Amino acid sequence: MRGYPPAWRARYGDELLAMVEEDLGGRRPTRRFRLSLVSAGLRERAHEAGMIGAGPSAAGPVRAGSLVILCAWAAFVLAGASFSKVAEHFARAVPVASRTLPQDAFTAVAALGVSAAVLVALGALIALPSFVRFVRAGGWPSVRGHVHRAIGLSVLMAAGLVPLSVWAHHLDTVQRNGGDAAYAAVIGAWSLVVAATLAQWTAAGVAAARRITFSPALLRLESLMAVIVAGAMLAITAATALWWAAMAHDAPWFLTGTASVGSHHPSPFDVQLVATLALMTVAVLTAAYGVYRIVRFRARLGVT
Amino acid sequence: MTKKRQPAGLRRANDPPVLILTSLAAGAKHGHALARDIKEFAGVNLGPGALYGAITRLEERGLIEPLDSDDRRRPYRITRAGSAALAEVVHDMRRLADVGAARLGLTWGSTA
Repeated sequence: MRGYPPAWRARYGDELLAMVEEDLGGRRPTRRFRLSLVSAGLRERAHEAGMIGAGPSAAGPVRAGSLVILCAWAAFVLAGASFSKVAEHFARAVPVASRTLPQDAFTAVAALGVSAAVLVALGALIALPSFVRFVRAGGWPSVRGHVHRAIGLSVLMAAGLVPLSVWAHHLDTVQRNGGDAAYAAVIGAWSLVVAATLAQWTAAGVAAARRITFSPALLRLESLMAVIVAGAMLAITAATALWWAAMAHDAPWFLTGTASVGSHHPSPFDVQLVATLALMTVAVLTAAYGVYRIVRFRARLGVT
Repeated sequence: MTKKRQPAGLRRANDPPVLILTSLAAGAKHGHALARDIKEFAGVNLGPGALYGAITRLEERGLIEPLDSDDRRRPYRITRAGSAALAEVVHDMRRLADVGAARLGLTWGSTA
């Protein structure tokens, strides 16, 4: 029963329990019976969040679609950071005659990434007055925990930044890129804090946005911006794949970190790059579901 | 061929919402009685999770409404909108059944 949303339990919980007791007639529920209830509860949560079904109004699905894209974007930012690390100083490894394609692909990734980030920030800014009204109306307790955790993680992240920068300054390139085990371990841990900070701020944004009543006009605007961000994510993924293909063709030794040009054929499959593109792909597919929800219900916004 | 979707969101004949509306067309019932009736006329076993998921959707759309009750087992009845939605589904099913029977050379009450 805990799988069901609290509001649903308050309305239907007693009736459902009465039916379950009549059905079981004193017997213990089978695993299949329990699973069916758990999955039904999760379906109700997905309905309540606007993730599936039509619901009483179009606002729920449109808002849910936009928030799905926001979550996908958060994962995409991590993938983007990973890509920028992989692609560090790539231009030096590529012969001048072959530099145009990977350089253009990288530029496209950077430009689209910045544009999408600006759109996301703009979306948050546009929603700010609605958030202030929500807080003034007594909504703060429902998001306070999320915000406090996000602030705590941000402080931890910022606290690690300066000492890590000072430490990195005293290391050479090889040591900074895995040569120093202690540095690698600490950077790895700090990266996890960064990821957790991003995830927690995203969770805080989602928690707030789910509770705020946005006007149909504002929802239309936010959902349009979300669809554009999803499109940018798709384009960035394509540009990243193009960069990889160009580098695999013209400077595969860069991807494996081996010395340039030899008689052997270095494999272009860098583990970090594969993981980065996989994460980008998952994020794009997730965003695509958000776009589907928006496109299906956006036209009905404001229609009673 | 495009899939026809009812304005009330009802789809196929064996969808839980259609089965529930059909059961309630004969009179108000609570959850357990609904499941028992549906099992009898349609041969479909609706568990509590599936049944109450469909009840939630039907109530949201105004096709059924709860009645007051003294115990935990709250009965539901079909609304006017629910009857109209069910009638449309039944008409569609009848049209399909008539075409199928005509093409198979069946008369109602016989089997191929």
